[in-house]
Amino acid sequence: MGIVAVGTVIALAAAIICGLVIGPTSIPTWRVVGDIFAHVGIGHDTLTSTQSTVVWTLRAPRMVIGLLAGSMLAVAGGSYQGVFRNPLADPYLLGVASGAGLGATFAIIDISHGNVTPTWTPLLAFVGALGAVTVTWLIGGRSMRANTATLILAGVAVASLLTSAQTFLLQQSSAESITLVYLWLLGTLSNAGWSTVWLVMPYVIVCIIICVGAGRALDVMSVGEEESRSLGVPVRRVRFVVIAASSLGTAAIVSAVGLIGFVGIIVPHIVRLLVGTSYRRILPISVVFGAAFLVFADTIARTVIAPSELPLGVVTALVGAPVFVIILSLRRPVAV
Amino acid sequence: MSSVEVKEISVRAGNKTLISEVTLAFEPGTWSTIIGPNGAGKTTLVETIAGLRRPSHGSVSILGEALTDMSERERALRVALVPQHPVVPSGMSVYDYVALGRVAHHGLFHSASTGDRAVVESVLERLSLVEFRERDVATLSGGERQRMVLARALTQSTMVVVLDEPITGLDLRHQMDMLELMKSEVHECGLTVVATLHDLTLAGQFADRLVLLDRGEVVLDGPAPTVIRSDELATRYGMNLRVVDVDGADVVVPVRHGDNVNGA
Repeated sequence: MGIVAVGTVIALAAAIICGLVIGPTSIPTWRVVGDIFAHVGIGHDTLTSTQSTVVWTLRAPRMVIGLLAGSMLAVAGGSYQGVFRNPLADPYLLGVASGAGLGATFAIIDISHGNVTPTWTPLLAFVGALGAVTVTWLIGGRSMRANTATLILAGVAVASLLTSAQTFLLQQSSAESITLVYLWLLGTLSNAGWSTVWLVMPYVIVCIIICVGAGRALDVMSVGEEESRSLGVPVRRVRFVVIAASSLGTAAIVSAVGLIGFVGIIVPHIVRLLVGTSYRRILPISVVFGAAFLVFADTIARTVIAPSELPLGVVTALVGAPVFVIILSLRRPVAV
Repeated sequence: MSSVEVKEISVRAGNKTLISEVTLAFEPGTWSTIIGPNGAGKTTLVETIAGLRRPSHGSVSILGEALTDMSERERALRVALVPQHPVVPSGMSVYDYVALGRVAHHGLFHSASTGDRAVVESVLERLSLVEFRERDVATLSGGERQRMVLARALTQSTMVVVLDEPITGLDLRHQMDMLELMKSEVHECGLTVVATLHDLTLAGQFADRLVLLDRGEVVLDGPAPTVIRSDELATRYGMNLRVVDVDGADVVVPVRHGDNVNGA
């Protein structure tokens, strides 16, 4: 456990440095690291003003949004796996992805018609994501007899409905909008600036704190709803709070960077294989590991075929799947 | 004051009445077992006493306080449950599993205190689980697993313990061991135990009192020997039953219809 924690923190530091150092403009690592220290008041600036702009205006916000997205998606996936006691649960389980997708499609089609500005895409994606989860909850999560299975099925129904609506919209629109929507669906950090970071950060931090704080409750809930209630856990309230926090945080991330798949499912599982089944360990480690993982993935995405970029969702799966398979074959089978 | 008071409760599921106007009181330091044929409402009754089901009418109070006025946590400090089919979360250690019983004491946002850990240790000791403490719960045998579930319930340190078919799937020796363990806890700690059991012989030997339930209603309620020897028992189960005295213990024997049984 201690080794894993130290290892993930080192991985995070390495990811942050990679995110700031690697790119088309070559800047020596020591200069970047020196400037990071200068920013926290240790030593002097070590970058020229051009280099400073490249690092702090172009690379840094992208790296930070990567950290936020990686940790939020990982912790949301881990929390969902705990709440639903289902190893296949990911942050998009209850319709966040399809709701955001439909919202973004609306906006992108309207942008290509010149009706709205590009700032509408994140807004509509956010509204769509939260709307979808709310509808799922109203259908499947409210009644006293509802269990997690009804909630998951309600999520499937809502997602199918919204996805078909999105397909219909796309089928009616131009090839150009289809390409734009498709790019958005694959997820990218390339549009992120500091304004995006400041917009998303409050949601993400609060939601991560709530999810991590629910770790002990999720541990108890691994014995099922009835037994956790008899052990004194207000199961329905915990479920509502965790789902609300995970969904809100995920919606904020998705609206900023699109649909980045695989992080929410693979990171918690890798962490679980390394530290065991307690959510008190899985969730905080997933926050750090998810952040490092996504920043590494993004560094690969933007360098492999530079100056062009690979879709981030493709990289997370391409890198994540083999890593996952290797760890899975080395360690005990997954238990949730 | 009775430790558990069940007042005129009815429990429904949809249109079906599972429990109908049941009134019972259970005293401290006693073991009461609910018996009855399948579908009589035994599990429903004990789950209602454990607070997992809400009665549509009537009320359940523990030490004078109504269950409906309690939060989940307050309830878990007063009544513990050994469920019929416990979920076994593979990957969790036996120690961590048993320590779940202390969650209601230290809360969801605090770690276990020294006192909490001492309780867990002493229960592990009493139930001979010390050697299993680091084992994955999924690797235990049936008997060890039931003991572990009982340990979790005892770790809750409640005055009332509800056992729902606690010996299902255990061999004879482990059935006896499990019930003996519980019996000594009742004597030593003055617990109130409300259990359900299918085995009438064991029910008769371990309970101070038997409550015969049929179709959601209490049909018979009294000291174990009286209920076991009542004709009503055979009628309610719809079969021939004989009670045989073996070294002073009542043994309930089922007899096939139409067979000539000598000496019964």
